[in-house]
Amino acid sequence: MIRNYIKIAWRNAMRQKQFTILNILGLSIGISTCFIIGLYIHSEMTYDTFHEKGERIYRINQPNIWDDWNEKSSNTGANVAIALREDAPEFEEVTRLFRTGTQIVRTNTDALANLHKEEHYFAAEENFFDIFSFQFLQGNPKTALSEPMSMVMTITTAKRYFGDQNPIDKTVEVKSDDGSWETYTVTGVLADVPYKSHIQFNILVSLKSFSDQLRVHDWKWIWTAFSTYGLVKEGTDIQAFTDRIQAIPPKWAPPTTQRIFNQTFKEFTAGHDWSLYLQPLKEIYLSESPAMHSFGPTGNPMFVKIFGAIGLLVLVLSSINFMNLSTARSSKRAKEIGVRKVLGSKRRTLIKQFVLESTLFVLIGTIFALLFVQLSLHIFNTIANVQLDLIPYLGNPLFLGILLLFILGLGLISGSYPAFYLSMFQPVETLKGKVSAKFRGKGIRNGLVIFQFTISIALVICTLFVQKQLVYTSSLDLGFEKDNILQIHNIEQIGFDTEALKTTFAMNPAFSKVGKSFGLPPNIWSGDRYKTLESENQVVQLRNVRTEEDYLDVLGVQFIAGRNFDSSRSNDKYKVILNEEAVKALGWGALETYTTDSPIGKKIALASGREDQFEVMGVVKNFNINSVQQKIAPLVIIHHQNDKVWDYGTGLSYYSMRLNPAVIKNANDLQALIEGVKENITQIDPSVPFEYSFMDQNFESTFIAEQRMGVILSIFTLMALIIACLGLFGLAAFTAEQRIKELGIRKVLGAKVSELAFLFSSEFTKLILISIAFASPIAYLLVNEWLKDFAYRTPIDIWVFILAGISALVITLLTVGFQTLKAASSNPIENLRME
Amino acid sequence: MLLQLKNVSKWVQSGGQNVFLLKDINFWVNEGDFISIMGPSGSGKSTLLNIIGMLDHFNEGTYTFLEESVHSLKEKHRANLYKQYIGFVFQAYHLIDELTVKENLEMPLLYKKQGSSERKALVADMLDRFNIVGKKDLFPSQLSGGQQQLVGVARALIASPKLILADEPTGNLNSKQGDEIMGIFKELNKEGVTIIQVTHSEKNAAYGSRVLNLLDGCIEC
Repeated sequence: MIRNYIKIAWRNAMRQKQFTILNILGLSIGISTCFIIGLYIHSEMTYDTFHEKGERIYRINQPNIWDDWNEKSSNTGANVAIALREDAPEFEEVTRLFRTGTQIVRTNTDALANLHKEEHYFAAEENFFDIFSFQFLQGNPKTALSEPMSMVMTITTAKRYFGDQNPIDKTVEVKSDDGSWETYTVTGVLADVPYKSHIQFNILVSLKSFSDQLRVHDWKWIWTAFSTYGLVKEGTDIQAFTDRIQAIPPKWAPPTTQRIFNQTFKEFTAGHDWSLYLQPLKEIYLSESPAMHSFGPTGNPMFVKIFGAIGLLVLVLSSINFMNLSTARSSKRAKEIGVRKVLGSKRRTLIKQFVLESTLFVLIGTIFALLFVQLSLHIFNTIANVQLDLIPYLGNPLFLGILLLFILGLGLISGSYPAFYLSMFQPVETLKGKVSAKFRGKGIRNGLVIFQFTISIALVICTLFVQKQLVYTSSLDLGFEKDNILQIHNIEQIGFDTEALKTTFAMNPAFSKVGKSFGLPPNIWSGDRYKTLESENQVVQLRNVRTEEDYLDVLGVQFIAGRNFDSSRSNDKYKVILNEEAVKALGWGALETYTTDSPIGKKIALASGREDQFEVMGVVKNFNINSVQQKIAPLVIIHHQNDKVWDYGTGLSYYSMRLNPAVIKNANDLQALIEGVKENITQIDPSVPFEYSFMDQNFESTFIAEQRMGVILSIFTLMALIIACLGLFGLAAFTAEQRIKELGIRKVLGAKVSELAFLFSSEFTKLILISIAFASPIAYLLVNEWLKDFAYRTPIDIWVFILAGISALVITLLTVGFQTLKAASSNPIENLRME
Repeated sequence: MLLQLKNVSKWVQSGGQNVFLLKDINFWVNEGDFISIMGPSGSGKSTLLNIIGMLDHFNEGTYTFLEESVHSLKEKHRANLYKQYIGFVFQAYHLIDELTVKENLEMPLLYKKQGSSERKALVADMLDRFNIVGKKDLFPSQLSGGQQQLVGVARALIASPKLILADEPTGNLNSKQGDEIMGIFKELNKEGVTIIQVTHSEKNAAYGSRVLNLLDGCIEC
């Protein structure tokens, strides 16, 4: 019997090629979209799963004590780990990773040829590999980091420095802050870090190499350059454990706050809880906060949610298509059903037959989908910047099992409605051909079409708004002109005296302005705690950046009070410039009050108990120091030579140059200029790696995730739209068949082709209009929610909805247009003939 | 003379051969005629009727309708011609199921772009004339076959055509209903409407003034 069913299914499929193609195409698109999204989500959700003890590893997070206490940070002080070892016996091991910042590394054999800037460079404690299972190729994980000045590196990094030589026991040199070179010994070589790891390193050095700093530093609880990880003992009650460790900061931190800020613990936290949070390892990559300050990539849980929802919806859409098309063509099957029933087939048998048939369709659709996914995955990988691969899954019995369940499930679900519907026919009616005359289920089919288009149109509206927001944000007024600014990095490597270099740049006619800074928008993150003289106890968090006066000219920021630094006045270097936000944050009012109560001449001081006070000499109009997703933070601009602020002489520095468009006319000029600048730097110090960037591009790149999301969303929206259109096309074909007689009568009675076309398509237009009505408020809510992430939001304009609606209508009319014209222009005699 | 067919032939290709549906038809109709086309199944009766109704094409010969050469007219003109002068009655009524009796009657007027008040008047006239005022808001499925065909005839008449073409108008009716429809045709004919009907029944043919016998696509061959 099954053979008979398959034979019938096959012949039916062949006989109605159009429906078969539409069905399989729609299903394949739906299933492949669902697969790709499934692979993506699976990949996002399985970060950091390769560690053997992964289930027991937790990262200890705490509030961001330097900025917003309500924000969680993965950065803790150096001594959180020390305290946990002492007071939290539930931890089998506690380890620390220390952010050393980017380092310059060279092999001591050949200084110039083998010098690299290493960004993925951290210091780890010796028990790091007792917790994490990074694969060692050479060396002993137990002892590799137990000595000061020892270093492990990945195989790719090792090849870069040593070629095919055995790196073990070889030495490399790392440039220190004062410009001297420190020697490290390679004690281990690791396999390259799997890409699905939130810790991405090329080089790890032993934390003991920094033992001097660790020993003398008073700042042990506020020196938040560490991430702390712990391995809990088996069977630990995490909730109770978490509750218990909350006692640690109040017990351990007070000496630090006293010593540094002259504040009690309570004064320091100002009413906030200094909590310690245990975050399971497998949640680190995808958790929303603390997303910043990680050691590698972080995912966005919102994207996973959005894409998961889209994947599911697209699958639902294609199943609906399948159901719609199957029931629609049922009138053609009615006779077969009638005959089968007359010949004694039970309803159950018929249902079985149709479910089997739809399962076959799903199977074929799935096979096509797998092929399609395999062929298109690399494109998706490039667009989404992921590394998905289908092949490993095909050998995975769990995946194959899920696949089988998926096929059977989808076959059953999408086959059940047609099956029940078709098997309901009364044999006598079907044999008389009456089914098509009073064809039922139209309401349901229309409902399904409305559902499909509601989703598609909502997606279209959302996609349009994502694009609109991206355009909006990239064209926002940042408070300065971000275009045409060339930025040269690694200036700190040259040493502090860079006047010679500046003179060279300033003489170059290609640059209209040149200025040095110790930070670049949109990446000015460093901040400190300041206080005013009026209220000793009120501490304000301000971002700070060191610049020279010319840098503010390069940016072209506006002064709304006071003036810029002046290098000819030696006192200026101990004065500071604030932005409007900072004035507000310090409680000195807004622009309107400057005339009566000017902030100029007032003084601020670091909250860390030092005596030095800095006079405010200027206030600049707010400008964006971070991505426009963030509100502009209060900022204090410190003179680059101010040696009374603790970080004097440290940190990365940059030269920024505004290009002169009269000289730099095209890409070739720019290329030549960059080559020239490289030459200038090499002449001064060949060990300085040459790196440059453009400020506008850096601002662009703050939206890379959103841009990617925009592209991916567009693709999936297109998929959903194609599926909906396929369904509509099939339904139009079916309706044309149903109504051909009516259209024939109308034509005989004098209707023009155009009138018939209008009549026919108006039915579908009605459905689309209803869909637009449903989709608009849904899309509005979604867009509104999404925009909440941005400090600057594009207005939710009505025209976008209208545009989406009109596009949907046009697409609909084009889709049904072919059927419309076919139906309207056919000869009525053909259709009115009695069988 | 209302219309004239001269040497009209129609054929289709089948298995590489021309199969004649109509062969060398010569035939004319005067205004006021009531003609019955008879013949066995497959003799080409309906094809001839469709050609007369300008719904179908022919391969050879000429067709003149009210001095216009139908065979050389463009599709659009031809459509205008039959819209203006011809009404159709079908064996299966071909009423539109989704429309009420009143709306079914109104449809041809809509396509002739007549004004609303005029349409109302004409529909009311028709309902009155065929005694179906009480049924005006019913749907076709709520009527008997005879009543449906009554609506079909009324719809054919509403645009005051010169010629009514009826393809087995009583084929789906019982004899009483059939007689009623034929009676109406007779009366219409008396009022000056030209009627051409296709029929199997000698009895119905007798209502007409002239009978055309068709056999294998030929008249009297």
